[in-house]
Amino acid sequence: MASIVKGQSGFAMTPHKVSICILLQVYAPSGQLSVPFPFDSISQHNRLALFLIALTKVHFLRYLNSLYHDDYPAALENLNRYFDYSAGMEGSDFVPPLSCINNGRYEIALLTLGMTHFHFGHPKLALKVLTEAVRVCQMHSDDTCLAYTLTAICNLLSEVGISNITGIMGASDSHVSTSLSVQQQLFVLLRRSLKRADSLKLKRLVASSHLALAKFDLKHVQRPLLSFGPKASVQLRTCPTNVCKKIRLSSQLIHQYDNESSVVTVDGALSTSWLKNQRKPTTTLVFPPESGPESNCDAFYSWLQSSSVPGSVLQLVGSSYLVSATSWELYGSASLAQSNALLFANCYADSSSSADLALAYGKLIQHLAVYKGYKEAFVALKIAEAKFLSVSKSGILPVKLQLLHERALHRGHLKLAQQICDELGVLASSVTGVDMEIKTEASLRQARTLLAANQFSEAASVAHSLFCKCYKFNMHVENATVLLLIAEIHKRSGNGVLGIPYALASLSFCESFNLYLLRGAATLTLAELWLLLGPRHAKRALNLIHSAFPIILGQGGLELQSRAHIAEAKCYLSDSSISVSEDPDIVLDSLRQACEGLEALEYHEMAAEAYYLMAIVLDKAGQMEQREEAAARFKQHITALENPIKPEDPLVNLL
Amino acid sequence: METDEEDVSRVVPFQLQFDKPVASQIKIAEWNPEKDLLAMVTEDSKILLHRFNWQRLWTISPGRCITSLCWRPDGKAIAIGLQDGTISLHDVENGKLLRSMKSHTVAVVCLNWDDDTGEEVSDGNFVPKYEDRTSRFFPPAPRAPRMPGLVPGETGFMDESENLSQELSNSSHQRFNILCSADKDGIISFSIFGIFPIGKIDIHDFSVCCPLANQQVDCKLLNASICKVVLSKDLCHLTVLCSGELLPEHDLHGFHCLTLDTSIFYKRRNELHQVALQASNIEDLTEVIRASLSVMSKQWSDAMHTFHDKFDSLSSLIHDHGLDSTPQEEFLSLIGGARTSPAVHQFLVNSLGEVVIADQGLKRISKLVCGAGKELEVIVLEHLQPAAEMIGFRIGELRGLSKWRSRYQGIGLDETLISNATEKASMLLIQVQRFMRVLSSSVQQFSNFFNWLHKCVKMLMSEPSDQQQLLAFNSELVILFLKYLYDQDPVRRLLESTEVDNSIEVDLETMERVQELAHFGGFTDFDYLRRTLAKEFQQMESCFKEAFQMPFITISKKILCQNLLPLFPIESISKSASSSVPTSISYYKEEMHSKQYSFVDYISFILPDEPSSQLANCIVVMRCLMNNDLEAVLLFVPDGYHCIDLSLYKECQLVLLLNGPSSENMEKACMTIVQADDLPFASIPSSEASSPWKLHELQDSIVYLQMDSLKVREIPHSVIAPLAVSASRGVACVFATRKRALVYILDEDEDEISDAD
Repeated sequence: MASIVKGQSGFAMTPHKVSICILLQVYAPSGQLSVPFPFDSISQHNRLALFLIALTKVHFLRYLNSLYHDDYPAALENLNRYFDYSAGMEGSDFVPPLSCINNGRYEIALLTLGMTHFHFGHPKLALKVLTEAVRVCQMHSDDTCLAYTLTAICNLLSEVGISNITGIMGASDSHVSTSLSVQQQLFVLLRRSLKRADSLKLKRLVASSHLALAKFDLKHVQRPLLSFGPKASVQLRTCPTNVCKKIRLSSQLIHQYDNESSVVTVDGALSTSWLKNQRKPTTTLVFPPESGPESNCDAFYSWLQSSSVPGSVLQLVGSSYLVSATSWELYGSASLAQSNALLFANCYADSSSSADLALAYGKLIQHLAVYKGYKEAFVALKIAEAKFLSVSKSGILPVKLQLLHERALHRGHLKLAQQICDELGVLASSVTGVDMEIKTEASLRQARTLLAANQFSEAASVAHSLFCKCYKFNMHVENATVLLLIAEIHKRSGNGVLGIPYALASLSFCESFNLYLLRGAATLTLAELWLLLGPRHAKRALNLIHSAFPIILGQGGLELQSRAHIAEAKCYLSDSSISVSEDPDIVLDSLRQACEGLEALEYHEMAAEAYYLMAIVLDKAGQMEQREEAAARFKQHITALENPIKPEDPLVNLL
Repeated sequence: METDEEDVSRVVPFQLQFDKPVASQIKIAEWNPEKDLLAMVTEDSKILLHRFNWQRLWTISPGRCITSLCWRPDGKAIAIGLQDGTISLHDVENGKLLRSMKSHTVAVVCLNWDDDTGEEVSDGNFVPKYEDRTSRFFPPAPRAPRMPGLVPGETGFMDESENLSQELSNSSHQRFNILCSADKDGIISFSIFGIFPIGKIDIHDFSVCCPLANQQVDCKLLNASICKVVLSKDLCHLTVLCSGELLPEHDLHGFHCLTLDTSIFYKRRNELHQVALQASNIEDLTEVIRASLSVMSKQWSDAMHTFHDKFDSLSSLIHDHGLDSTPQEEFLSLIGGARTSPAVHQFLVNSLGEVVIADQGLKRISKLVCGAGKELEVIVLEHLQPAAEMIGFRIGELRGLSKWRSRYQGIGLDETLISNATEKASMLLIQVQRFMRVLSSSVQQFSNFFNWLHKCVKMLMSEPSDQQQLLAFNSELVILFLKYLYDQDPVRRLLESTEVDNSIEVDLETMERVQELAHFGGFTDFDYLRRTLAKEFQQMESCFKEAFQMPFITISKKILCQNLLPLFPIESISKSASSSVPTSISYYKEEMHSKQYSFVDYISFILPDEPSSQLANCIVVMRCLMNNDLEAVLLFVPDGYHCIDLSLYKECQLVLLLNGPSSENMEKACMTIVQADDLPFASIPSSEASSPWKLHELQDSIVYLQMDSLKVREIPHSVIAPLAVSASRGVACVFATRKRALVYILDEDEDEISDAD
């Protein structure tokens, strides 16, 4: 091993290569390779492969690396973390039955290899290997492994943007692959793997299949696979109730795991946690001499701590709540999105993977930034950074960059915004189809930065290429956002007529994907575009705004709320039938609410606009003192906008 | 001669549909507004529902005296008011109780249920369509779990067709409607959909400026008793007919007409609709959670009781054998393999396995405990958790609405209160999650313990044990079970809702996490994990109550008195009779300008025969015009006739039910229709009155009812009230003193059409 790791000079060591070496070592027929391997005892258990699967972050490899660099403390830490991580894998069903230990090895090796490829960002390779695994499984009629392989393929297909897989899946699915789109193939696969897992009574696999289906339903319109005759009754909308049902089904696992016959909890796993509790002052003896009421109370929690639900089950159940939180973000229920993320952080922090936990914290931080303003969000971000410093920076880092970018945009610090954008883009892997989320996010933000700099054609071209990419990879949810962005670009460039079709297109995307919050935003943009066309459309714009108000005010963030309030005020101001001087409060109320939100966001440009409008209204109403105040605030924000960099800004150095 | 008779028979109006006997005298009868159904209340307080062809659909008896009845505007439910102040809603399909609310403390004398006619009055304001998103995102709401061991149907709630009932009481598909209920003590309650209370007023609280003795005096009602309340079709006005004294002058005991301004219902109908829709659904869901908690608590404690019953005998056995140890210690030494004490041996082999097959007893108890655990798990998954989640969603929607201050603050939707409630709902979700984990661990450890015991019994009895048959167990889990679960019950602790402070100890690490999460937008109330699930639920509920109380209070304050008219005096002796003045109020649409409509209310009642009054045997018809001018006419019933009941019918027609003409031995009655808007109304001056009683001024303008010129249908029985008239169907049901029901067809046009067919 050591010789492999050292290698020759110029041979770049990557975790990917190391893990493949280990896999080779583990699964190769004995006697063929004679590479000195320091882990003979471990290699006898093929569990090592499982550990590798579980490792989204390569703690084990880091351990090897640190060892190689004689960095013993770091090595120990990584090793610990590695074991922590793999603790959730006990009772995994991978241990092949004794009878087919020799037969079963190859397909498991392929499965593992495929997943390793996938984790290190080589989806094409992974897919090839997994397809081979399916073939071998079918040949050996190893149903369990086949079920897992199918699930792995589903995971891969749903996570990675693949525009065209014809030919790749052809071997196993020749009868479907020809006529169906990628999405439909994925759906068929998901259903099939669920069925298989169900018939094999692999409860965990069933739960994770349900979860995968929920994720699928979240972003895909279900079409009938085969349609005959007139397509009258086909309703092209996503089906959120299915998502809800499937998430519930997968969280049912918490009560079903003990039915799984093959699961045997690893002896000793519990004593570890128990011992941990013994150290605490609360529990003294196994049986306290007198069991007074106090010790009763204590016992409760230490029992709960040492609760015997397997870690892998908790992990799965926990991630179902994360999926639920994501779904509510899309559907537009701020309170449920937040409470699901909180629930996860509260109840599943111990048992979940650090990536999931980082994701949950990231969601909470973003929620804070959007609904409460940056001050609180950055306080939280600091805590989170300390918490996830070494474990998974990658989970928190994009969140941090997004926050910083948003803030820079709001303050009018466009150079910084551009810089952050680039950094965000670098985070993504260069392989096509991998890290699609970060890639789209980065281009979206780039377009927004350009828009803020009033470079309309550049912004539009970025948005256009993003739209093409999203279309290619069937990312329709993202498409709705991009279309809205294009409408925004037209709005800002003052071309209302061109913007309206884009806003309407975005609106119809939102309709069919049930993206209520985005629909609210699109409606607002549409209203603003109408208003741009002249005061005679004020009534129509106002009606649009009012129809979106419950969603925007209830579920939207501060920026969206303030924008809606300003737009409402503008409608009132341009509507000739409403006399502002008689009833100024109708306008002032909404402007005040807008200013509140914008101050929290430090969104200078829009705050200036709100104060400007306010000053005009106050002037008409004859409230001179307040008018002066509003005018002063207007000036403040304008000056701040013109000089975006403040030397005392503590956040500039955050990068 | 014959041709004459034919002629006569042809012109006999109101064809008799049928004449059927009824089992018991009817005191209330109402036609369904949508279908050909007649609901009747008998003297012995049974509700009968008959079809138009007199086929009986169902009968129920609520066990208490029924004092009023009305239909929901969509005709799918009946509201009944009871003697004790309860209002209950029943399903039209089967009479099942849908909902019961105690809105009053005394008898509910009148119910009126009206819906928003759904016509957009174009006042220039755009009314955004609001969609309840819940059904888009969630499968149908969970229902309350069935209490085990209850015979279905016993509770009235749960049955196979529960689906339908749920659907009916659900407010999602209804148009905005308001149920008004008035009780004997002069209190009027309003509830949206008949389930969400939105206001309550006491008519004694209103003070109105009235011209008394040639000067304006602030008048108040005293000892008022409501006779009838009717909400106008546009929900803007509420007409109340009541009897009582008018202060400050005590001798003014009589019959009054109050007009209340309820325009808030009209102006804010969309907002109220949405709030009521969400809030009433939330209340439904909290009921589901409450029922789930109580069912779970019952089932689990039953199971635990059996378990402890069995295993408590071990400690006495240990004591009998002169040992000084606990059962846990004995079991621990058994699992450690050190020794098997005689007590444990005796317990396992003899006490538990008392039957021939040694482990029969163990099997039974294991099945019982694990079965109860599984049932609890099902309840959590299918009822408790989905309900908690949906509450979270709906309260989130309400929070969204509460942020639209310009629209929703006016109806009392308070942002902070709703936000508190949202936070509580979120806490409940976490508590449910914790409970789920505790429950699942407990069940697992119980079953593991039983598996182990099972094996021990086999070994102690030295039976050849078949390894395959025995279920695997984990010895560590057995130890955990002995330590934490054998004599404690975390599941029950979480379900307990006792008043005693029973806080749960939370370890330091968790507390730190909770505090840390507060920075991430978590709860600032760090103690929530110390509460039990039941306690948390109580807190959430009280939070909701507080939040929903606000609209109730706000709306109540906005219902104001517009007008008070003293109509006629009543001798105090016949005070009790006053509430039985037959009255009828209806609103008719009148075209005002080119396209605008308004509603004109017609109030008609029979003047009671007072010995002192000159106005005997009179019917009064009043109408209130748009500019609040009041007009009235006195109809004098011809001698020999006596008016029993009246009812306003469509197109300003008034149906009169009269007994008579009196003859020596023949019991006869007749029914006739008067076109009310053709009557010569005389306006009642609002001031400069010599007498406070408005009707005294009408004595000059009495109109005599000309029976000959009217369409009169003779009825060969003497009749009694009530007269049930259906405007939509054009039928009238009359009840004879001799327990018969007669249905007449009022709408002759329709009849002709059907004849032509």
